[in-house]
Amino acid sequence: MNAVKKLIKAREFTSFLFLAVLFLAVGLINPAFLSLENISACFNSSVVYTLIAVGMAFAIFIGEIDVSVGSTMGLSAAVAGTMIQNHSNWLLAFAVGILIGVVVGLINGWGVAVMKIPSLIFTLGTNGILRGLMYLQVGVEQVNSLPKEFKDMSSRTLLGNFTVYYCCAVLLTVCIHLLLTRTRRGRYFIAVGDNAGGAELVGIPATRTKVTAYLICGVLSAAAGILFASRIGIVTSLSGNGYEMKAVAACVLGGISLSGGVGSVIGAGIGAVIMASISYLLVFMGFSSNYDNAITGVILITIVVADALMQYRAAVNNRHARLAARTSAALGGKGAAGQ
Amino acid sequence: METRESTGKAAPLLAVRGIYKSFALNAVLKGIDLDVMPGEVLALIGGNGAGKSTLMKIIMGIYSYDQGELSINGAAVALNRPSDALAQGIYMVPQEPLLFPNMTVEENVIIGFDKSKAELHKELVDTMAGIGWNLDLGRKASSLSIAEQQLVEILRGILRHARLLILDEPTSALTFDEVKSLFGVVRDLREKGIGIIYITHRLAEVFDIATHVAIMRDGSITIQGPVENFTREDLVKGLLPPDAEVSAQTRTAAASEVDYSARPVLELENFSGYGFSNVSLKVWPGEILGVAGVVGAGRTEMATTIFGMDKVLGGRVLLNGNDITGKKTRQVILAGLNYVPEDRHLNGLFKICDVSANTTSASLYGGALGRVFLNRKAEYDITEKYVKNFRTKITGHDQLTGSLSGGNQQKVVIGRSLATSPGIVILDEPTRGIDAAARGDVYHIIQQLREQGLSILLISSDMEELEELADRVVTMYQGRINAEFRGTDINQDHLTAAAFGIVGQEAKGI
Amino acid sequence: MKDRSLKPNASKTLRRLWNGSSFRWNLFLLALITAECVVFGVANSKFLSLPRIFASANGDLTFWYVSVFVTFVMITGGIDIQSCSIVGLTSIIIGVAWQDFGMNIWVASLLAVAVSVACGALSGFFVAYCGVQAMVVTLGGSFLYSGLGLLVSTLSSTEAYKGISGFPDSFKALTKTKVFDLIPLQMILFLLLLTAAYLLLHRSKYGRKVFLVGVNPAAAEYSGINSRWISMSTYILSGLAAGITGVVMTSQLGTAKSDLGGNFTMTIITACVLGGTLSTGGKGSAIGTALAAISITLLRFGMPLCFGVNKQYLDIPIGVLLVVVVVGRAVFSNPSVIAWAGRLRKKTTKAGS
Repeated sequence: MNAVKKLIKAREFTSFLFLAVLFLAVGLINPAFLSLENISACFNSSVVYTLIAVGMAFAIFIGEIDVSVGSTMGLSAAVAGTMIQNHSNWLLAFAVGILIGVVVGLINGWGVAVMKIPSLIFTLGTNGILRGLMYLQVGVEQVNSLPKEFKDMSSRTLLGNFTVYYCCAVLLTVCIHLLLTRTRRGRYFIAVGDNAGGAELVGIPATRTKVTAYLICGVLSAAAGILFASRIGIVTSLSGNGYEMKAVAACVLGGISLSGGVGSVIGAGIGAVIMASISYLLVFMGFSSNYDNAITGVILITIVVADALMQYRAAVNNRHARLAARTSAALGGKGAAGQ
Repeated sequence: METRESTGKAAPLLAVRGIYKSFALNAVLKGIDLDVMPGEVLALIGGNGAGKSTLMKIIMGIYSYDQGELSINGAAVALNRPSDALAQGIYMVPQEPLLFPNMTVEENVIIGFDKSKAELHKELVDTMAGIGWNLDLGRKASSLSIAEQQLVEILRGILRHARLLILDEPTSALTFDEVKSLFGVVRDLREKGIGIIYITHRLAEVFDIATHVAIMRDGSITIQGPVENFTREDLVKGLLPPDAEVSAQTRTAAASEVDYSARPVLELENFSGYGFSNVSLKVWPGEILGVAGVVGAGRTEMATTIFGMDKVLGGRVLLNGNDITGKKTRQVILAGLNYVPEDRHLNGLFKICDVSANTTSASLYGGALGRVFLNRKAEYDITEKYVKNFRTKITGHDQLTGSLSGGNQQKVVIGRSLATSPGIVILDEPTRGIDAAARGDVYHIIQQLREQGLSILLISSDMEELEELADRVVTMYQGRINAEFRGTDINQDHLTAAAFGIVGQEAKGI
Repeated sequence: MKDRSLKPNASKTLRRLWNGSSFRWNLFLLALITAECVVFGVANSKFLSLPRIFASANGDLTFWYVSVFVTFVMITGGIDIQSCSIVGLTSIIIGVAWQDFGMNIWVASLLAVAVSVACGALSGFFVAYCGVQAMVVTLGGSFLYSGLGLLVSTLSSTEAYKGISGFPDSFKALTKTKVFDLIPLQMILFLLLLTAAYLLLHRSKYGRKVFLVGVNPAAAEYSGINSRWISMSTYILSGLAAGITGVVMTSQLGTAKSDLGGNFTMTIITACVLGGTLSTGGKGSAIGTALAAISITLLRFGMPLCFGVNKQYLDIPIGVLLVVVVVGRAVFSNPSVIAWAGRLRKKTTKAGS
């Protein structure tokens, strides 16, 4: 019973509930939606978002952010795609793509954790550079003749209607979640974001943890890029634009707090499904796609404001409790005068 | 001052030799020698600014030291970061709990350990059963009361099987029963041969739990030895500077008498807020009222609540007869009261702004600096007035305050609070962290202001300072005023004792 | 010993000017602009034609106008990434209100600007009074306001992608008139806005409060300043700037579209940071941002013209510029680096003497 209670209290459960309610609401308005095909389509289409959101989650856990994930994804897609298009060994192409993620992650980690430059600004800079590099790669020659086998991989299904890709993404997310919550080092990420000073005191290496977080973020973004190339089949110089903001939104929707220290990658995954499905769902509800952005914006702002208000209130209450304890100690415990 | 190495045969658990530490120009530790043997509970006492926290942070690897040596069990060690200290078996339970708010109690305690979760869980449960503390391991740390958070911190230390445990004011938020069980834990650990450094403000606790005592004053150890060699009076004396005997007569003469029949400038009636309760006091025109006490006594909280920074829980504040209870800061300033914050680095200075911006920052409302556009000339005049009056050493009005010495920084902040023409100014630890020459300047300024009829509420932990400057002194202890002193009763002896909670017949009680 | 009792005179003003934190950086930016003009002018003399430069700057007006006021936001320690969406929203409101609701074009413009101010106020409220991180609120805002723009465009009989056009000549004249037959009106408008921003930020009591809040919000509160209101007001200003930009851009392009704002977010931030604004707050200069914006525009104009660099690769030098400036500043403000530089200087003067 305790386990069930804990499950219900989790932020991720709220996100999941939100998703379920969303699906049900759409189904009520338009029963045609409630088919296995449609529902699984929602999940399948979120595979790229899922990987990026999980990567972004690492950056947010440590209390920072990474707005270069979209361009990392794009560049990795562009380079790997070009290589595959030119009949290189697929594995080699994948390796190069991931390597791009590694390099970007390390550079971001250096800038933020070692040089102590505010993460928003620094990753904004790397984002710009990466976007430019993308133009270099696919600005003139788009990647649009990928081999059929490569593109078909994205539609191979595994369990019923769920694609292999999505099943792998889910598996990866679950594994990462277990690593983060069950291993000693895994807990360091959240700890650093929760209370950096306290983390140092118990011997957690903050700088190293932050660099690792950015490294993982870069790698996952790069992996997302390869999947992107396979799913969409084309890589242009605009690919990946705006994905970083969708990833932040996905994390927030999944219960991850932007100030760090709270949340799980499971939540990021759920948030990714919500983000990917919104436009799809709105169509079924009879809204034109024109409502997408507006509704996303409203949802995002509402959630973030509610979260901030709760955190603020908790902090104020804590401080007041702390101070009140000092005076009540005089009454309740060892008294003031004469002892 | 003899260390105990000469008397004991075994190597001390922790030996501190000749530790010096300065922050910029400020010497905080001036040659510390300390020994802790296994199974000893060393109570470390000292006033604010004595350097206790700094010394503990050095032992814990958070700060580095300029000179000196640390050894564990006779072998010299280098403690460059907390993980080094942890590896050596040292653990510090901080004064303010540093838990991870979004993790559960259990997660907070076992993070960073190598052993399996199941093992740690069992150990944790057994330990808690052994102590008799009942804490729901599944609760989020942010939902714990401060007392409970402190317990969790202590649990962390115990579970780490530390050889040397540092407890920094562990009982400041605990109830009577929790304190008793903490003492039981401490005795247990003692028997196991663990050394404990126990920092406290409560002299009573020293005699309850400690085996040895050391008193720190102004960066050095003044008294050290087994507890049975000292009485309470000895300890109080150790907290005072060596020339304390003479101090009773050093009050500057020619100070004008305060007219106690006039209407008080400031009046607090049963004023309560977070961190203090039922404070009643009056300040008369041209009077310097000192407020003494130790950290956590509630003085700053009282001041900031008067200043509109925090919620009022009860009572009233009257300024020149006008009720300003609960008013916002700007209105309080306009009504004629200003406040110089305790921590000038955090709350007082705009470090990357220049002297004139800092001096005029509180004068931006009203007409003093122009209507819409900043009147540069007025700004210059105001800044120049205080620079000259206070003899502030600057290279020009455009010097960034971050590059000024502590004393000059303080002069700028004081100047700012006076620029709003208040009738009363609250100074919170105005001479903390500044050198002797600047200190003299600030005293001169304070006395000048008094001559001009300005009232001053002087919050200070420096009893010498209060003795020299104040017309009257009240002491606060655990959020309440516990004593008031006038005239020749204002001496460091009385003030120190009262600040530590010991009040005798001399105190004109409230 | 300097005699500090002298009243301010010319040389003191000069000295204060020199030591002013932004003056030296602004000189550097001026030098950068000069260098760009020299390099590009030599490479291709066609560069040095003012009409051409003005023409190319027309497309960059968005980030010129907006960056100057986003500087205010960043000085208080915040950030604003929703301006481009607000520009688009403003534009489409003008179009729809004029064409489909029959409003007078100038009234429509006023309405649109009022909406943009409200947008800024809303986000500013969440940042200042609810304590939400600025980046996230303005991120949500960018979604919301661009979404609202799309929705407004559906109110029109014209399809969204077509855009509304056919505005009255008086409206188009806003950006077609040239002062002295050379300088487009929108440039004059920019100078006016810049002057207003300069006076507001560097000369008025309000501007002083903006800086103080950015340097140390706690100390500002202790000085009796209402930090939260000051913070919120900066978002109102940047919203206003975005609204004005929307009006000008609509007039200039002759079309009202909900995506008129383009994708200038990163460029806006770059212009602010390059202009000397500290992302952590407390430092910044309206003139610096303007100079930085001009230098970026010259870069965007000069590189394709003189070196045949494809327009789309321009993000690289701008991104590199941002990283280099930020890292360079972090390195040179590191106290150990300053100490090392001081020792180096001592050594060289000793060697010289």
